[in-house]
Amino acid sequence: MLKHAKKMLVFTLIGSMLAGTMLTGCGKSDDASTSVTSKGEVVQLTYNAWGAKDEDAVMKKLLAAFEAANPNIKVKYNHIPDDYSNKMNTVLAGGSAPDVFLTSDGDFGRWVKSGLLLNMQSYVDKSGIDLKDMWASALGRYQYDGKVLAKGDQYALPKDIGPSVLYYNKDLFKKAGVEFPSSENPMTFEELLALSQKLTKKDTAGKITQYGIGPLWWEGFLWSNGGDFLSKDNKEFVMNSKDGIEAMQYCADLINKYKVSPDGKSTTAMSADQMFNTGKIAMIGGGRWMVPTYRKLGFDWDVAPMPTGKLNTWSGWSGSVGYSIYKKSKHPEEAFKLIKFLAGVEGQKLGTELGFQIPTFKSMSNTDLFLQKGQKPEHAEVFIKAAEGQRPGSWTLTPNTKWLDVFNQRITKLWEGKTTAEKLLNEIKPEIDKALKEGNPQIFN
Amino acid sequence: MSKNGDLNVQLNVKSVEFNVNKKKKFKRKYIYGYLFIAPPFIGFILFGLIPIVYSLYISMTSFDLFNPAVFTGLDNYKKLFLEDPLFWQSLFNTIYAAIGIPIGIGLSLLIAMGLSKNIKGINFFRTAFFLPSICSVVALTLMWKWIFNADYGVLNNILGFFHIQGPNWLGSSTWAMPALIIQGVWGGLGTGMILYIAALKNVPRTFYEAADIDGANNWDKFWHITLPAISPTTFYLAITAVIGAMQAFVPYMLMTNGGPDYSTTTIVLYLYNNAFRYMNMGYASAMAWLLFVVIMAMTIINFKVSSKWVHYD
Repeated sequence: MLKHAKKMLVFTLIGSMLAGTMLTGCGKSDDASTSVTSKGEVVQLTYNAWGAKDEDAVMKKLLAAFEAANPNIKVKYNHIPDDYSNKMNTVLAGGSAPDVFLTSDGDFGRWVKSGLLLNMQSYVDKSGIDLKDMWASALGRYQYDGKVLAKGDQYALPKDIGPSVLYYNKDLFKKAGVEFPSSENPMTFEELLALSQKLTKKDTAGKITQYGIGPLWWEGFLWSNGGDFLSKDNKEFVMNSKDGIEAMQYCADLINKYKVSPDGKSTTAMSADQMFNTGKIAMIGGGRWMVPTYRKLGFDWDVAPMPTGKLNTWSGWSGSVGYSIYKKSKHPEEAFKLIKFLAGVEGQKLGTELGFQIPTFKSMSNTDLFLQKGQKPEHAEVFIKAAEGQRPGSWTLTPNTKWLDVFNQRITKLWEGKTTAEKLLNEIKPEIDKALKEGNPQIFN
Repeated sequence: MSKNGDLNVQLNVKSVEFNVNKKKKFKRKYIYGYLFIAPPFIGFILFGLIPIVYSLYISMTSFDLFNPAVFTGLDNYKKLFLEDPLFWQSLFNTIYAAIGIPIGIGLSLLIAMGLSKNIKGINFFRTAFFLPSICSVVALTLMWKWIFNADYGVLNNILGFFHIQGPNWLGSSTWAMPALIIQGVWGGLGTGMILYIAALKNVPRTFYEAADIDGANNWDKFWHITLPAISPTTFYLAITAVIGAMQAFVPYMLMTNGGPDYSTTTIVLYLYNNAFRYMNMGYASAMAWLLFVVIMAMTIINFKVSSKWVHYD
């Protein structure tokens, strides 16, 4: 009898261990807030964000300051260092997402279309935040009117905006005996070509050891020449316009004809950043977020505006991240309080101090807090001017971006030099239009 | 006498008891067996069978993961067959990639044959060839990215010695897939080699001796004795390689993300993008089921044809 009981005990233990290891596979999603809101009770908010170590430290400081100013709200901060989008997708699909979470401008379209974000327009109107002081495109990329983005109600508030500028290696310029690019006027296509040719060096075997300009952030070239991705109503692919073709062909020529820019092959092993860091590229596109890293580099560098096409304007794409509230959050009021703090002046100050981001408020941008005189880059005001002229990246135009994926796949033929811009852009237009329509039917109704 | 009698009575009683308890004891014995297989079995039902059946249902709906699924019947399948050239492109790419299978199996056989004789350093070689199979895929991916680098990579440098201008492997829509085939073959050599070494050892020596007596040369011995004797292993490798090739995903996503120009987009990669980039769960599920049908068909064909060339002894 005892032997039998022992057997049963052993089997039960083994069985429950196995079952336990299996069930740990289904993890528990982040708790939503648990306490009831009534005067005097503490509200628990959960907040998900990603961020490098420095940003994480700043965020913790900000949250502590917020909790001190709002004793009835506690914030549970979940720092997700990588794979943020996928983890958020899982939690959102599970139905119990955090109250407040970061939403990149790329994820925004998908999540707002699926009805996961809370419409905060009414809160924003009552909040007293000076929207006119914010960069227009920063606000715009978190708006949705049910059909198209960049119009309608506010579903998130911007955390930051990151315009793109041209970083250049001053030491390489001095070695080549070339003047630094102007920080006031973007150089033209012709000037960029001439400059890059002087900065491209070959070794005795004819192999290029130094490129004048890194992989091109060609969106700015396209826009400043008068071209664009989609028509104003987002219904049609229009890069095959005369201006668009001209800009794209210019970029392809820099790679294949004049060979002053590395093509994809060089960057598959050593990324563009690594090449810049090791002095193999003289000029490279980058955002503000590179500044803390670049400040540790061994050579002298500065920033200049992105080159411009025939429109002679500052132009480039900018990335952005926003704060959003989960649609089914049980504490939308408190959640918005947190967002107001983070996206407002307080949050912007701390984030800017670190050097990571451009403040979303124009008035804050022109202060020493941002310009940080005495630290590189010397011409930090380039970022501000760039922020004025920048546009959201192409991935923010529509909720479904299959058309963009198709474009990115097909355009590689141009970078390989296998075809001309005119031929290729006209060839791929029907396929892209089809993907655009299929992925975003609500725009066409 | 009475003792024996008692014994008989005892034995009879015991045997009656035994018959009555037979059923009970049987069940009792088997209960432990069932208990043992219960956890993995329940796991399979919960995390395998139910999701699979659910995905069949999802494949007939439009589902973005966040909102309830909307039933659409066979729309997804119709779209896949008739309106999605990219699906056919990915199917073609996947089958193109399968070229690596016979190459891989052949190479691992050669290596196994080389390593089945007791040459010096045999343990080192066996370890070296098997190492890729147990290395992290991500680490290997980084390594291969360096190897394939057009300017500084090892491969193009070696080709340079022969005065061949190596192509821009991962950036060329013609050469990206061959590059990934090379990478795949290299990664799979280890498993095939191990299995073949074991199979070769098991070929009865008497066959070779008989062949020698009959005056067979090395090629005859290989073709008529070795190959048929190891054919069960070849069959196993072929089946698993085909199933694996049809589901190839990780290297294609990490090395080239399906590019350039969709030349390295395999079915599963395209499926993944549809599911998690475009949030088209229904469409992706339909693709998954079509893939299942294709793999099933290939496996059945493999099995049917196997009777012609696989010899079990």
